[in-house]
Amino acid sequence: MAVRGTGRIHAVGDIVETVTRGNVTEVKVILASVVLALAVYQLILIAVCYGRVRPPFLSSGAAGFAHRAIGDVIAVLLVVVAIMCLSYFELEDDTAAHVVAASALLVVLALKILVIRRWHALSSLLPLLGTCVFLLLVVTWATSAGDLLADR
Amino acid sequence: MTRQVVGSLLVALVIVAVTIVVVTARLGTTSTAELELREEMQENRIEMQEERLERQEDLREERLEQREDGGGPG
Repeated sequence: MAVRGTGRIHAVGDIVETVTRGNVTEVKVILASVVLALAVYQLILIAVCYGRVRPPFLSSGAAGFAHRAIGDVIAVLLVVVAIMCLSYFELEDDTAAHVVAASALLVVLALKILVIRRWHALSSLLPLLGTCVFLLLVVTWATSAGDLLADR
Repeated sequence: MTRQVVGSLLVALVIVAVTIVVVTARLGTTSTAELELREEMQENRIEMQEERLERQEDLREERLEQREDGGGPG
């Protein structure tokens, strides 16, 4: 899904193609799947952090720290995948669900990061935002990488 | 606590590694570029084969014409 109009986007698309040695789709599917797997792990960590689950080997503080660190990695990976999508792939009719879910995902994720870093008064919304991020991630993955993996 | 954090992050690394292995296995290890190259080579081979057949056909026709011209009555 890309707007191949401007030269800059075209150049980024070329870089993406070079870096992935022509395997843009495959690299994108792997990265998106890694993000989804880490997101499932994030659910476990946040459940420990909020005290819903109390394993004897992991304190809520450690789980919270790991959750934040892995969350940063997920955010970076999502931006990389988004850049790959926008710079390389064409926008088609059958990708509408994927585009809508992915755009909503980036918006909600940005909102979540803002709440964590700046708008502390809204921190009661974090569980809701986290759940939305996870659900949107599942939809985004299922409508692209999941589809492709199911076909193979 | 540090040990727990490191342990949690190591688990994340294992998850990443396992995901990469599983998805790569599902996708197949041959790269798209390699597959495209193979396809291109196959197309070239087919093209060359067709050209060779065409050339043989032309030669056969030429020979037939020559035979007809040379072996006719008169």
